Amino acid sequence: MKPEAVTQAITNSFVQGGSQWLISTIVAFLPVLWTMALMFHLGRPYVLRTLRRIGLRLGADVWWMSYLLIRDALLLITFALGWIFFNPNTVFNQALPITAPIAELCLLLALAVKLSRRVDDDVNAYRLSTVFLVLGATLYYGPLVFAVEATSQTYLAGFGAAFTSNANPTAALWIMWLSLLGVALVTGWLFVQAVRSASRSMARRLAQRETKPASAGR
Amino acid sequence: MSVDQLTHAIVSGINSGAEQFLEGTLAAILPVIWLALLGLELGRPYILQMIERFTLRLGADLLWLIYVGLRDFLVISGVVMSFMFLFPDVVTADQLPLFGGLAASALFGVLLVKLMGDPDHNLTHYRIVMALLVAGGLLYFVPYVLGVQFNSAAPAGAFATISSFLVTSSNPNWAVGIGYVSTALFAIMGAIAAGYTLITGGRAEVPESTSGQ
Repeated sequence: MKPEAVTQAITNSFVQGGSQWLISTIVAFLPVLWTMALMFHLGRPYVLRTLRRIGLRLGADVWWMSYLLIRDALLLITFALGWIFFNPNTVFNQALPITAPIAELCLLLALAVKLSRRVDDDVNAYRLSTVFLVLGATLYYGPLVFAVEATSQTYLAGFGAAFTSNANPTAALWIMWLSLLGVALVTGWLFVQAVRSASRSMARRLAQRETKPASAGR
Repeated sequence: MSVDQLTHAIVSGINSGAEQFLEGTLAAILPVIWLALLGLELGRPYILQMIERFTLRLGADLLWLIYVGLRDFLVISGVVMSFMFLFPDVVTADQLPLFGGLAASALFGVLLVKLMGDPDHNLTHYRIVMALLVAGGLLYFVPYVLGVQFNSAAPAGAFATISSFLVTSSNPNWAVGIGYVSTALFAIMGAIAAGYTLITGGRAEVPESTSGQ
């Protein structure tokens, strides 16, 4: 083999290997994010209990604000990094949990509930977002633990073949496309909600501005 | 050897090397996390003594908040980083403490008690938390020191046998079995936590019944 060929091989390796390494790092990091997102969401009663015992308003506000920021940022980052499950090439070539796109859809639905209803004041909205999160996490963890990360276990080979994306690409791609459709629908609905809400609040502000000079002139 | 074959070999090397490096780093950081969280949990009386000496309420509140936040974040980090003990491929390939999954379950139990009880103000709950931490610490550190960190130095005979028994890669059947038990414990405790928050609706306590009033 000539030196040029070795150079080309090493260059290709860095490009392909770097890309695969990035994806596999995201896949390895996603269970961490899912678990933390779930823990922060489910840990709300504990955070509230601690909050009640803080004597000063400043401390309570800092505590609650930090909790909200970390909890919601974790949900958003988990969804953003999980976008790799909607890349057909990645789903086709890499060993990923086959139901991960549905888990991502559940995560988006939990976020949609948070965006459209007051989850921290409305108990039923909180329950609904909890159900979506728990369902999503279960759909993510199940195939990850017993299929993707259990290739060494021969008695789980059937389960692994059925629930790993590159071992069952047809089903994986169908699940991915259907979930992507769901994501598009939810995102579209969120967009309409945001525009409606903004139009309503802006119209109210404009109406207030118009009535103020009139009343001032009387 | 063709260029494609060489490329493939290097890519495989990079990927498996990076994965092992990541898992190795997690395994190396976990004892530090365990020690730090045990230190903070055991240091509660010291923090309370310091809080009593504060003349300004703001300082006392901030110290307590930072302490509680750091302590609980370390417990969460410990559970999250121990997730690798649940993966059969990882425990059979890497040298990890045999009972690491059970230690992670004990840590998850601590979080469950914190969620459903009040260990900072209820003595029984505090004792349960401490018992779980002691159990988890022993389950983690005994196989870590006597297995993972001792297996190459252990003299042949009973020591070497015990040492290799306590390492997941040299005892894969037990490691995978314990992994499944830990997964089941995680699933049960996770379901209890989810059920609790669904019943309370995310509020601090279960609301008292108002029917008939």
